[in-house]
This record gives sequence, C-alpha cells and structure tokens, in this order.
Amino acid sequence: MAGVLSSLRYLLADFIGEEDDTPPFLPDGLSDGVAAVVSEGIHRLTEYQGAGYARLYVDRVKRFVGRHDVDDAMLGEIARLMIMRMSYEDSIRIAQLKLAETGVGNGPVQPADDVRKFRLDELVGALPAVVAEPVLDICERLGWTHKPVSVRFSAASGWGVRRLKIEASLRRWRLFSVRYAEERAWVERWLHMVGRCLTKQPKATSEIVQTATMVQGYGDAYRQGLADWHAIIDGLAKPTFDGALPLADLAGAVAEARAAAMPDPRQAALKRTIAQIRARALGEALGPIIAVNAGNP
Amino acid sequence: MDTSHLAEHAGAASSFFASIFVVATLSMRTMIPLRVFGILTNIILIVSAIPTHNYATLVLHSVLLPLNSYRLHQMLQLVRDVKKSVNSDLSMEWLKPFMTERKCAAGEVLFYKDEKAESMFYIVSGRYQLVESGIELPVGAIVGELGMLSPSNMRTQTLECIEAGTILSVSYKQVEELYVQNPAFGFYFLRLASARLFQNIGTLEQQLAQYAAPSPAAAAAPKPA
Repeated sequence: MAGVLSSLRYLLADFIGEEDDTPPFLPDGLSDGVAAVVSEGIHRLTEYQGAGYARLYVDRVKRFVGRHDVDDAMLGEIARLMIMRMSYEDSIRIAQLKLAETGVGNGPVQPADDVRKFRLDELVGALPAVVAEPVLDICERLGWTHKPVSVRFSAASGWGVRRLKIEASLRRWRLFSVRYAEERAWVERWLHMVGRCLTKQPKATSEIVQTATMVQGYGDAYRQGLADWHAIIDGLAKPTFDGALPLADLAGAVAEARAAAMPDPRQAALKRTIAQIRARALGEALGPIIAVNAGNP
Repeated sequence: MDTSHLAEHAGAASSFFASIFVVATLSMRTMIPLRVFGILTNIILIVSAIPTHNYATLVLHSVLLPLNSYRLHQMLQLVRDVKKSVNSDLSMEWLKPFMTERKCAAGEVLFYKDEKAESMFYIVSGRYQLVESGIELPVGAIVGELGMLSPSNMRTQTLECIEAGTILSVSYKQVEELYVQNPAFGFYFLRLASARLFQNIGTLEQQLAQYAAPSPAAAAAPKPA
C-alpha cells in the first residue's frame, strides 16, 4: 500500500508538492558566526518554501565556502543577504507572515489587518507560469500590467483566515511561477557578479555584495530597486569585469551611483551619474595615451 | 439465407480476440512494443467493427491507428538517428525535433556558472560566449549535454548571448522521459554521451601532451653533465 501511495505521490508531485522534507546539512568549514546565519537561512527557507529550497540555498552558499579570497565577514553577508533575496515578498509570503503573526493553529485568532499595494503583473506572476503567461499577455494588450491593486491581508474574521490559508497554500506552485523564474535569474546574476568581482576587482567585492540591499519589498519600490540595480551592474560592474571600462575604483563608483538612485521611474539622476562615471573613467584611461601621442608627432 | 447470426458470431469472436490484444498492449513495459500492440489492437477492432456495424468504434480506431503508427515511426526514427550518431560524428542533431525554439537578445545570459543545470541548448543563430573562458560557441553547437549525467549537475561556465539569435532548448526531464520510455534509445544515448566524454578527454590529453612536450630549442640544448 505504501508503495502504491508513493507511486501516486511521485505521479502527482507537481501538483501536491515535493515529498522529500529532509532538511539540508550545514556545509563543512563554517565559523560559528557564519554557521548561525546559514542555520537561520535553512530554517527560514524551509518554512518559506520547503526543504528542497533550503538545499538550493545551502548549495549557493557552498560556492563561496573555503575560498581563500572570501573571509568570514563576507561569507556571512552573502549568506544573510541571500536569505533576504530568496525569501522575496510576494503575496504568498505576506499571507504566510500574517498567519504566523496571528498564531493561527496555536491559539486564539488575533484580529490583524493589513492592506498592501501590488502591481497587477506582480500578483499574476505569483501563479504558475502556465496560468500566468496567458493572463499577463491579455493584461499587456489591455495596458493593465502596471495597474496598482490593493490587497487586504486580514485575520480578523474566519473568512479572512481561510483566505490567508488559501493564499499561503499557493506556495506549493511557487517554484513554477513567472516571479520565481525572474527571482532565480536575479539571485544567480548577483552571485555571478560577486564571483567575477572576486576575480577581477577583489577590493570592490563587499560593495557588490551589498548591492543586494537595493532590491527589497514589493510593488513599485521593488521594481524601482531592481531597475536601479540592473542599471548599475550593466553600466559599471559588468563592463569593468569584461574589460570594456577601465574603472580602477569600482567600489567607489558603485557607491556614488547608489547615492544618486532616487525613487524616479525614469532614473534620470542615476543614468546621468553612471554616464559621468563612465566618461571620467574613459577620460582617465585615454589621458596618458593622448599625452604620449602628443609627445610623438 | 439469413447471415446476421454469422455476423454476430464473427463480431463476438473478434471482440474477444481484440480484448486479448488490449490486455497485451496495456501489459507492455516499454513504448515500442506498446505502440506495436496498440496498432494490432486498432486493426482488429476496426475489422471486428465492420460486420457488427459498430461505427463509433470504427471511427475511434481509424483515428487511433495513424496516431499510434506516427508515434511508433517517431520512436524508431529517434533510435535509428541516435544509433547512427554513435557510429559517425557523435552529433546530437537528432534531439532537434524534441526541442523548443527561443529567441535570445544580446546581453541575455542563458545560464550562470555553478547554477544547477536543467536543460541543454542547440545554437541555431546568433553569437554566444562562455564568459569565464571567453570561448565563443559556433552555430550548431550543443551546450550542456553532459550536465544531465554529471553527479553535481552544476554549470561549469556562464553562457551569454553577445549577438541576438535563436536557440533550441530541451529540458533534462524531457530527455529522461525519452530515455525511460525507450531502452534502445537509452542504451545508445549512454554510448553517445560516453563517446563525447572520451572525445573531450582525448582532446585534453592532446593539449596536455603539447604543453608537456619540450620545445625544439629546449630539446636541442646540451644537457648538464
């Protein structure tokens, strides 16, 4: 009987979620401080999505464990910020947090009310891609993609709690969602930039690690942070690593650009600052060549 | 002379005969015998439906017969192509019919180093570069075919599109399904993957030998006494 149930579970794994709930082990060779952070990450991400997702977190942390150019402080920061990024705030997460806040299942339901503003594409993107993609196509044709939508998260009534539970239960399909695919690409790109920085400009690595804090929250603030992050990486970090931009102080340049990032969808100040930094770097690199050429008629 | 009772008996006998084939079809473990028995069952049920004027069954199995035949043809062609590839150029072109086309914009990253590998790609057009090594991959190259069989399943380099183009992709899960459905395909696929791996080892050994071999100048220099 157990074998039949196991086969059925495997057949329907995509619909009922994964069976394997064994939590991952801590990687070997972590200091006490880092081990505590990674342990917290395993706990948080198991609760957020499941043991498999926590394993993905550990695998990502392992890429930096034992490297001579990554000290404990940096490893701890990477591990901490990765928890933050991997537990991104979608409507499912907010429902989970609201349920945890009110202690549902452990005691009396406490009244709590919360209204959050999302973009329509953000809400639809939390659904499995097979459902979300056609809906997003229709929204785009109608021009509704960026439409703000207010969602009430309330545990003040029985119906509210039931709704929160339904929303939180969508987590089993989270890994098939459009949003997850975007988040996965984003986290991988951030880690890739950290890795390249360690090779090309080790002094700037801490600054690149800290850029993860630019992308936080949900709704417009989240989209703005993400757009600013990509602008800085595409304009400064990547060209420096590719050798196309001779930027000697990448850390300083990134900090300068981050300071210019404003809550402006057009990113006018940020783009201007990035252009100035690039022009300055190219000018400094070309200066000696022009001087040499001027001296050799 | 009334022949209706004869038709009835013939219909009952052929239905019984067809039932045996339905059971046999469903008891098959792998895809090719299952399709072959499926085709035989379709034929028997079509023949048995004629004398009994059972048109619903006739129409249903007339549709299923070409469908089963087409799927069997696809499966046999796949095995033939993989087998041919093992014995010739080790190409993976036979996977193309199972792949999905995707447009790539310049600057788009297909996958990152150390990321868990889940699919393989076939380059149709555009320019693509492995970021860490700086190697540019030619049109027609297959990327990530060995990742499916590697224990760690991790990408060893980052692949970036540097000039917009088109790629074909297939997930490891889809290839696994083909593998599980068809033991002959699985066997030749393993042989092909191993041959490509040995080919890579051979290339590396050649490169190593080139580095290890002393230069003509060094060889000509007098050895210390």
